[in-house]
Amino acid sequence: MLSVILRRTALAVPTLFGVSIVVFLLMQVLPGDPVASFMTEDSTDAERQAMRAELGLDRPLPIRYFDWLTAALQGDLGYSLQRRREVLDLLTQAIGNTMVLALASAVFGIVAGVAIGFVAGIRRGSVVDRVVSVISLSGLSIPSFFLAIVLLAVFSGGLKWFPSGGAVLDEGLGTALRHLTLPVLAGSLVTMAITARVTRASVVDVYSADFIETLRAKGLSSTQINRHVMRNAISPVLTTSGVQIGALLGGSVLVETIFRWPGMGMLVFNAISSRDLLVVQGATLVIALCFVLINLAVDLAQAAIDPRVRAGVA
Amino acid sequence: MTTLLLQQGPLAGSAPTNESKVEAERLREAWLAQEESVRSQSFWKETGRRFLANKVGVGAAAVVLLLVLAAIFAPLITSHDPLVGNPADRLLGVFSGGHILGTDEQGRDMFARIVYGGRLSLVAGFVPTLVAALIGTAIGVTAGMVGGLIGSGLMRAMDVLYAFPAILLAIAVGASLGPGLTNTVIAVTIVFIPPVARVAESATRRVVSREYIEAARLTGASRIRIARSQVLPNVLNDIIVYSSGLVGVAMITAASLSFLGLGSPPPAPEWGYMLNSMRGALYVEPLVAMIPGIFIFLASVAFNMASDALREAMDSRL
Repeated sequence: MLSVILRRTALAVPTLFGVSIVVFLLMQVLPGDPVASFMTEDSTDAERQAMRAELGLDRPLPIRYFDWLTAALQGDLGYSLQRRREVLDLLTQAIGNTMVLALASAVFGIVAGVAIGFVAGIRRGSVVDRVVSVISLSGLSIPSFFLAIVLLAVFSGGLKWFPSGGAVLDEGLGTALRHLTLPVLAGSLVTMAITARVTRASVVDVYSADFIETLRAKGLSSTQINRHVMRNAISPVLTTSGVQIGALLGGSVLVETIFRWPGMGMLVFNAISSRDLLVVQGATLVIALCFVLINLAVDLAQAAIDPRVRAGVA
Repeated sequence: MTTLLLQQGPLAGSAPTNESKVEAERLREAWLAQEESVRSQSFWKETGRRFLANKVGVGAAAVVLLLVLAAIFAPLITSHDPLVGNPADRLLGVFSGGHILGTDEQGRDMFARIVYGGRLSLVAGFVPTLVAALIGTAIGVTAGMVGGLIGSGLMRAMDVLYAFPAILLAIAVGASLGPGLTNTVIAVTIVFIPPVARVAESATRRVVSREYIEAARLTGASRIRIARSQVLPNVLNDIIVYSSGLVGVAMITAASLSFLGLGSPPPAPEWGYMLNSMRGALYVEPLVAMIPGIFIFLASVAFNMASDALREAMDSRL
């Protein structure tokens, strides 16, 4: 197991390296002259050149990348002129809120998805199966921002059951849950839909395996058989769950904006509106970093519970 | 759906080389038979017949066709101007004052805006899927056939793009390029290239290990000829099925960018942007305010159902 951990972790390093290159390059494709915003109309070419030199823009791309990476590794992601704050400060303030929302959505979406996907899988072709397939197809097709708006209109505006937004997490569990409910529902429907589809397909697959016939012949009850099915069907579900958490982190830009949830998503949205690209860059880097680590954790968890994965067979 | 395809593991190993003449002759026949079957049209006829037998799929395809036709013939369907409205008529309900779907917050006819906006949404759904399918296939087939250091290098580069949540990558690229439909299309295309390349690569590796490829190689066919006449026709099914599932996702992703203000600048009637700009009207005219969202949902469901039906129609051959 130790060698598995070391190997998988080592594989994540070049990926992280690549991620940093992509994030750096994103900021280099900006249309327009980056110096323009510092210049007045009657600035001379010499002044422009001086500004370019001062910002370090006259040096070759690889050197600028190396400087940027060294700074980023030391926690220096730049200074937001619009917000008058260090980008890292803005991000550390927001990341906690985003994690709470993303993890709550992930847990809800994955648990609900596994539950309905499992039932649909063992009752293939039944009414339940069809209902689940309609739910998961709708979940895949409804944009989270539309769902968020509908939920707000119905449960906050109309019925007044839930607050219209904000993250109040430190005034008791009840208040926190009331603020979490709508954003979690809006964000996690897609998670639930995809998880349900994957679970169902996996369960159907395992059910057709020979060993199920053997178990039945041995006289096991259907509850006991289902336990075996579950254990064998869970691997693909785990694989997608890492991707799902990443999607929730990325999708936070939309959901957080609508529910005024003060996390990284809302930070990114405000930064886009004010063309504050250093913040977009920093947030993208941090979220991608989290995503790589989450996928690594999922990989290792899979290797821990499934000996086939550990051996590199499945 | 899409996730399942991504999990197909690589099938390692290649067909054994057999040098006996009899074996070579057998392989040559296998190759000829393969070329024959590739050219035959019966598979597509069969797929078409199966698709038409699937009522859900036909219904979904009809909705897609209807949306496409409405977008193309927009000026014939509505006489209202999608960009200019009468401020006195702002936020009318559905079926009032000669406006089938009501009016928006500037008094513009919603039906006209939806129909004309369909052009933008459909472009944002189809174009990135098509371009990503072409580029992704080229990368994946190349990686799968060349293999070795170059092949795995190409795929590792794709993996790096995978390290970003798809929607976040689209937002980051869109934010860097600035608002506009072209930039949205570029952003969504970039996000879709890696998954298509993965599907193409794993399909190519599966095909390359088959006997008829070995046979083609023995008869002296060049790499390019093998790619064109043997590999491509055999990996195309996987790519078509996978890509068809991306159209709906592309529409939602593009609508998300437009919702965030990264799509066509106003007053362009893009559905995602309309949904955002109508948020204020949610408590005045809830139904009218939800119409853009309903259309995004409707189009995306139709694309996803049609894609599912297509996959079933093509899969049952196997």
